[in-house]
Amino acid sequence: MNNRKVTLAAAAAGVVAGAAGLGLLAMPAGAGQPPTLPDVSAESLVEQVLTSEPGAFGGTVQVDNKLGLPSIAEIPQLADGKHSARIWTDGNGRFRAALPNGQSEQTVVHDGKTTWSWNSADNEVTKAERKPDGSKPDERKPDAKAEAANPAEAAKQVVGLTKEFSDISVDGTARVANRAAYELVLTPKASEKTLIREVRIAVDSELKMPLRVAVLTNGTSEPAGMVGFSEINVGPQDPKLFEFTPPAQAKVTTPEAKEERDRDRSPELGLEQALQGENPQVFGTGWDTVVGARIPAEAMSQVPAEAQGLVDRFTKKVSGSWGSGKVFTTKVATVLIADDGRVVAGAVPEQVLFDTIGQVK
Amino acid sequence: MITRQFGSEVRWMLRRPRTLIGLFGLVLVPIVISFGIWTAGEDEGGGPPGLGAILQGNGMVVPIFTLFLSLNLLLPLVASIWAADGLAGEAQHGTLRGLLVAPVSRVRLLFVKLFGLAAMSLFAVTLMAVVGIIAGTAFLGTDGMMTLSGTTLDTGEGLLRIALFVVLVTFQMVSIGAVALAVSAATEHPLVVQAATMTTIIVFQVLGQFSSLDWLHPFLITTGFPGLIDVMRDPVPLDQIWDSTLLAGCYLLIGTGLAAMRLITKDN
Repeated sequence: MNNRKVTLAAAAAGVVAGAAGLGLLAMPAGAGQPPTLPDVSAESLVEQVLTSEPGAFGGTVQVDNKLGLPSIAEIPQLADGKHSARIWTDGNGRFRAALPNGQSEQTVVHDGKTTWSWNSADNEVTKAERKPDGSKPDERKPDAKAEAANPAEAAKQVVGLTKEFSDISVDGTARVANRAAYELVLTPKASEKTLIREVRIAVDSELKMPLRVAVLTNGTSEPAGMVGFSEINVGPQDPKLFEFTPPAQAKVTTPEAKEERDRDRSPELGLEQALQGENPQVFGTGWDTVVGARIPAEAMSQVPAEAQGLVDRFTKKVSGSWGSGKVFTTKVATVLIADDGRVVAGAVPEQVLFDTIGQVK
Repeated sequence: MITRQFGSEVRWMLRRPRTLIGLFGLVLVPIVISFGIWTAGEDEGGGPPGLGAILQGNGMVVPIFTLFLSLNLLLPLVASIWAADGLAGEAQHGTLRGLLVAPVSRVRLLFVKLFGLAAMSLFAVTLMAVVGIIAGTAFLGTDGMMTLSGTTLDTGEGLLRIALFVVLVTFQMVSIGAVALAVSAATEHPLVVQAATMTTIIVFQVLGQFSSLDWLHPFLITTGFPGLIDVMRDPVPLDQIWDSTLLAGCYLLIGTGLAAMRLITKDN
């Protein structure tokens, strides 16, 4: 009888342990105790970030996106939510990035001469070679994507562009991907008319390399967007990672050929090209910089119907002394498209765009 | 003693005609998939999105693709049938009473049933993988194994990945089976066990589609299924695989614990 009670208790303990395990697994990983680090001045930290040369490392990057972008079936990576990517670099320009997308994966490898971009969804390799004259290859698409996934590079750019227009401070420390880091905070100066309240950058205390970037907007305590390493191992990486041999069954194309073919297929590419046709005009400086352009009338009419539909679905009709158009709002940026083809965008409230659009030539 | 009981349990399971018919059905899946992709031809690209897109000319991926698809419904169904036969089926035939009054501990009886389930699951999954390799290679050809990351593994490495996937899928299947065993211990009707298990799996998958319920998702065993595909990435990221396996482990503990509690308190 007693024996039976003991077994019963053991079985019950098993059930409880299993349930507790489920609870533990569901809990987000704790950030852990913030480390104690020697004080550092904000100015010298910024300087160190800008001059740091991250060596070889490999790691997993988490992107947590709460920008308030609409979920567009055609571009799932932009939708709100968490995405992860794995990146490796040898510190000398060679890198590999693996961007999972559901069950598919996009892999970008730059081996020093050639940028290979592989997409498992269409079993296709895009090969962009460095041109003989030494100019950079047309690696806009794959590289831009891989670069955006690298918090170290993204943060460096943000700091470089905005340090003059911000109050910079060091706000304690944090533990990111199990490494001790300083929290560098860039707050736009009061004169800046921007949607962004502050940008927090966790800077590795040893390597001075940014490990995490969080963008906070006015009126919310949760970051609107966050890019950061969830795991990083610093040191030489397997050189095989920086080589790529196209699989035997894959189609190999060039970026030019792919773009040509994709233009009809994906509507957002057409829109992108229409916007890229003109040299952008830049108004203002710092956080409230507004970028403007004029889409030529013919390009406006060439935008495929699907793209037009996409635009209509997610924008609000507005008008004012400047004319009329559509405004597209997210937590960190606003885009105003006038019916006559003028486009302005920036990390600013829509009023700033209404004031600026008149200057677009 | 215990090994003899294990052996006799597995022999007893294999002797049931429905087990053999079930295994035969499972084996058909990789053959049909290979044949389907083969007839689709080169121009059609691959099959469905995801792993299906890289199947063409890449026969070694067929076993992984097959098991990945089957894990959603087919393998839980088979596990629930075996779990239903194990206790509820025996209760229905009146043979469970004999086992319960026999001078063996009821916990041991449960472990024998669980072992039978695990052995049969491993057997079924391995069988599907082996047939998948043969059918995939025969219909689609093979030149090593191309991963989702675009790298090509040699045959040895490819076989290792398949073996790893077989173990992972078997573990998921056994965990579902353990929960089914708990239901099985509580009823005399095998159909109730199958219906309850399959309903749960389907409802979990439906709940998994609602992003407004994302707080619930980490608790659902089905949430762990898609992450297992990471076996086909190169290098293999272990965190999702590890999470899925731990999640299934929790279900295994809960299922086994509940089944044990029910068996111990059962009046003969």
